[in-house]
Amino acid sequence: MHDSVKMAVTLLVIGAICGGFLAAVNAWTDPIIAEREQEEFQRTVGEFFPEVDEIEEEEIDEEKYFICYDADGNMLGVVGEVKASAYGDEPIRYNLGVNKDGEVVGMRVIAHEETPGIGDFIEDDDWVENQITGLHFDDPIAVDQDIDARSGATVTLRGIVSSIRSTVDLIGDEYLGFEVEVVEVDMDEVEDGTYTGTADGFAGEIELEVTVSGGEITEIVIISHEDTPDFWDQAEGETIDRIIEAQDVEVDAVSGATASSEGIMEAVADALN
Amino acid sequence: MATMTQEFSKGILKENPVFRLLLGLCPVLAVTATAINGFGMGIAATFVMLCSNIVVSLIRNVVPPRVRIPAYILVIATFVTVTDLVLNAFIPSLHAALGIFIPLIVVNCMILGRAEGFARKNNLGRSIIDALGMGVGFTISLTVLGMFRELLGAGTLFDVNITGTAFEPMVVFATPPGAFIALGILLLLFNVIYKKMGIE
Amino acid sequence: MDLNLGAIIFVAILANNIVLNQFLGICPYMGVTKRVETSLGMSMAVVFVMTMAGIVTWIIFNFILIPLELEYLRTISFILVIASLVQLVEIVLKKTNPTLFKALGIYLPLITTNCAILGVAILNIQMDHNIIQTVVYSLAAAIGFTVALVIMAGIRERLELANMSSMLKGAAVTLVAAGIMSLSFMGFSGIMTL
Repeated sequence: MHDSVKMAVTLLVIGAICGGFLAAVNAWTDPIIAEREQEEFQRTVGEFFPEVDEIEEEEIDEEKYFICYDADGNMLGVVGEVKASAYGDEPIRYNLGVNKDGEVVGMRVIAHEETPGIGDFIEDDDWVENQITGLHFDDPIAVDQDIDARSGATVTLRGIVSSIRSTVDLIGDEYLGFEVEVVEVDMDEVEDGTYTGTADGFAGEIELEVTVSGGEITEIVIISHEDTPDFWDQAEGETIDRIIEAQDVEVDAVSGATASSEGIMEAVADALN
Repeated sequence: MATMTQEFSKGILKENPVFRLLLGLCPVLAVTATAINGFGMGIAATFVMLCSNIVVSLIRNVVPPRVRIPAYILVIATFVTVTDLVLNAFIPSLHAALGIFIPLIVVNCMILGRAEGFARKNNLGRSIIDALGMGVGFTISLTVLGMFRELLGAGTLFDVNITGTAFEPMVVFATPPGAFIALGILLLLFNVIYKKMGIE
Repeated sequence: MDLNLGAIIFVAILANNIVLNQFLGICPYMGVTKRVETSLGMSMAVVFVMTMAGIVTWIIFNFILIPLELEYLRTISFILVIASLVQLVEIVLKKTNPTLFKALGIYLPLITTNCAILGVAILNIQMDHNIIQTVVYSLAAAIGFTVALVIMAGIRERLELANMSSMLKGAAVTLVAAGIMSLSFMGFSGIMTL
């Protein structure tokens, strides 16, 4: 009995001393760490909008958006702290700055797991400067259109470009008063029948067949696609259901699978036009 | 009773924790993609081992034998956390590079091994030397492996480009399979060296 | 909320195997895999401890450490939980299956220092898993551990019979074999991301 008490007391005493020591070290280092993280953040936002004076933070779909204002209260633009699913096991985390005119002012990768020497071009300032900076909301922002393809790094490139497109869309739509344009379809002009349409999805082309009967979209069948199975599965059923229910080509994209969803919508629009 | 010098040097050659005793292999493979990371991890582990050896040696007559392992774990975990916090505050780049392997120092069998196998039975002075010797051996091993992998995998040493454009780096060495293979090759080399030196 | 469980399982076992990709659990991987039997035995113990440890540490972190702003006590509390769980397994095993207990010998207490268990516990926190994802990930990671160990044991049992220089035998050739295994598992990456 004596032994057990001695054992318990020893452990408790050691535990208490360790705990106290750690609390002290933590109190010492915590403010330093917090300050550094603040500084790093200011630096990243400040990189896009040097005149930033005030920042408003909002969270949409588990991603943060920082609306930046200058000293006079004018909106300078928005920085999105977002993620892009690409080649690596973890999504690429990056900041994208879009100014109030809808123009991309810069991109900064925070963390990624793309292959060194192949997918890490995303960190190259020159690449960002040449390919990303200056893109506008109204531009396609798509591989092989206004962004050069990169052989051997297709998945990484499509991943980041697709994400940039969505982020610009979201920022433009939410904060800058732009309207995300999915090609409009006037159902009155469409005759009954079956139509094929194609559009770009996340990783490649989507081809589908739309059946119109009695002036309504009754069926949408996917012929082929090249998107990542997990994301596609999330997007396909839901998006098709939404289109048929709303009888409108433009519906809410499935969050987490935006590129695939919008690809489907665009392919349907393509079919019916 | 071995001399102080012998206590120190055994950690570097005869009882090298990585190449002879095969202890603490998890961080060895994970952080040695570059030489500087290998070096940094070595220093961090040495610091923890030194502090824990000191404390364990000091309290060795006070701790009841049956609770000694949990007690040592508490002590080691404390110093690991200190290292984690201090690195995050003052050398954030190393902290980010070593990542999850900083808290994993606590389960580095080398540290618990020295505490249980040596510091528990030896006075403060010898325990310090033992920790330093093992730590230096560990650090050297990690740095050597790191240099090997960095040179072959990226053509650089400590971030300085050595090989220029003539040599096409074998990126595989910067990846997990390369880590295994690199360590295997080095182990083979060291076995040969040890045999030549007459150490079995 | 998308739980993505299928992806978690696939990634944990194949695409980002904790032993072959993330370098967790190398000590037992090198030490225990001389025979398939011992590998299986230890792996079973690891499956149990890893899953339980994942759950308990998650609860402690989210319900005790965060509310009390004691996140810095994470390492200490986690390792204590793991050490206690291993003690528990030892006691239970001694009573219910003494043969296995003897066969595992020193390897059982060694599970405490298995970086894979602490590693997975920390990973659950870092990857912001909810409780269900934590259970699934811990279990799947342990299965991945088992897969890596059992395959390696199979290989090593064969290697025992092969002719090779004494310099190469033992750890050196095991590491090279591990490298080749890791290389082949790399083929799974990129198929699915979380």
